[in-house]
Amino acid sequence: MSLDQAVLLAILGGIVFLDQWPLLQSMLSRPLVVGAAVGIVLDRPTDGVLWGAVFEAIYLGVLPIGVARYPDAGLAALAGSAIALSAPVGVPPPAGWAVAVALGTGAVGDHAGVVLRRWNGRLAVHVREQVAAGDLSAPGRAIAISLMRGAGLGVVVSAGALTVGLGGLALVVSTPWSGPLSMTVVVLAAAAALVVNGTRLLVDSRSRFTAWGVGLVLVVAAFGLVG
Amino acid sequence: MSWINRPLAAERRRIARRATCLQAVWNYETLQGVGFAWAIAPGLDRLYPDPNARSERLLAHLERFNSNPYLGTIGIGFALRLEQEVARGSAGADQRLARLIKAVRSSLGALGDELFWAAWRPALGLIGAAAALMTGSLIAALGYWVAYNAFAQTIRWRGVRAGFASGAGIARVLQDPFWSRASELTKSAGAVACGAVAGGALLAARSGGTEGISVFLITTAFLWLAGWRRGSRGRWLSPSVAFLVVVILLSVVVRISAGVLP
Repeated sequence: MSLDQAVLLAILGGIVFLDQWPLLQSMLSRPLVVGAAVGIVLDRPTDGVLWGAVFEAIYLGVLPIGVARYPDAGLAALAGSAIALSAPVGVPPPAGWAVAVALGTGAVGDHAGVVLRRWNGRLAVHVREQVAAGDLSAPGRAIAISLMRGAGLGVVVSAGALTVGLGGLALVVSTPWSGPLSMTVVVLAAAAALVVNGTRLLVDSRSRFTAWGVGLVLVVAAFGLVG
Repeated sequence: MSWINRPLAAERRRIARRATCLQAVWNYETLQGVGFAWAIAPGLDRLYPDPNARSERLLAHLERFNSNPYLGTIGIGFALRLEQEVARGSAGADQRLARLIKAVRSSLGALGDELFWAAWRPALGLIGAAAALMTGSLIAALGYWVAYNAFAQTIRWRGVRAGFASGAGIARVLQDPFWSRASELTKSAGAVACGAVAGGALLAARSGGTEGISVFLITTAFLWLAGWRRGSRGRWLSPSVAFLVVVILLSVVVRISAGVLP
């Protein structure tokens, strides 16, 4: 990974952090999309999409409901995909280390979110005081400040994760953290995670269990017979 | 005073654009309050030419507000409509607005969370991730992103108008069967897709021989058991940690007996 690519990934981290909750929520921050973006930056779009799908499967069940705390799946996917794609083409990726770095980054991203929310609390108090004093542009300024802080936090967390992840690769060589696991096995494991997490989330009644079975039978009947 | 009775169409468009920042200053005290106030400000600019009156109303909207980010625009549109009554000087209109917005926000949050976070996003994510795992194509990621936003951002964009049109009849919007039907339909479609993914994965694993089938079935069983809830103590392992354990265990198997896995 060149320095230019690392800088681009860190900037992408700023965008991903903002999209997670402060701005737009367009799902640019979902692992599937982030993995694809990392693949494009590192000139390996197919591998990027595959790793994005792996992290999407892992984080499918994380729901941002109410004031609940949850890992930053976007930053996790960014760091994990970048570490996985650090292996040359055709060489098994350091899958265990990539997933471990992703988990750590997701947790740090969660803490960064808490920090930003606390800063926002102080900002909100200032906004009230300024509006009470007749300054009607205070909310707009607060939003601009918070977005800049959020983007900065995203860049810092991503840059830190990439530094630790790439630096740590040398330490995990010749251990199970660096594989060797073929992409076929990683994809099968991800498919299993997708099925388990999807079923837990979406199959919550007898009728949906029937729907689940219909989907299974249809695909097996259609493609199993052809195969 | 005719400006008070105008439909505020231009302001509603500005409000919808600003609503993309509804959560920008999210905090533990007022939640989305600052974003709400900033979003509704163009309407207040029109309704209150007097800066002191505008400042007073802006302060009122800096109070605590929380909703699903896509459905929050319905609350803002509704508040704008009631704000017209406040500007007209209707007796008790400001207290009624404060009371109703408090009542509406939790309903908007619950409806939106159920539709977008518990149904639309996981169902689309499942389909998108499965397509990506099968094809490795960028189109899977792009299709997911476009499909998600086609629905979510449309709801967000049209929410201001819907909330404004409903006014005090906001309950009818919230009780519209569209919301529950959309959630149910999306979850059912997601369940069919999930079964289809299970079938597709089984067939794909079969092409990897006995080893492929074994990896898929053992991993599925392990992840299912690891995610089992133990009463009030939560799950044995979170899905992400369980997946890490799977990857490490599979790597160990490969190291111990090279060539055993596909």
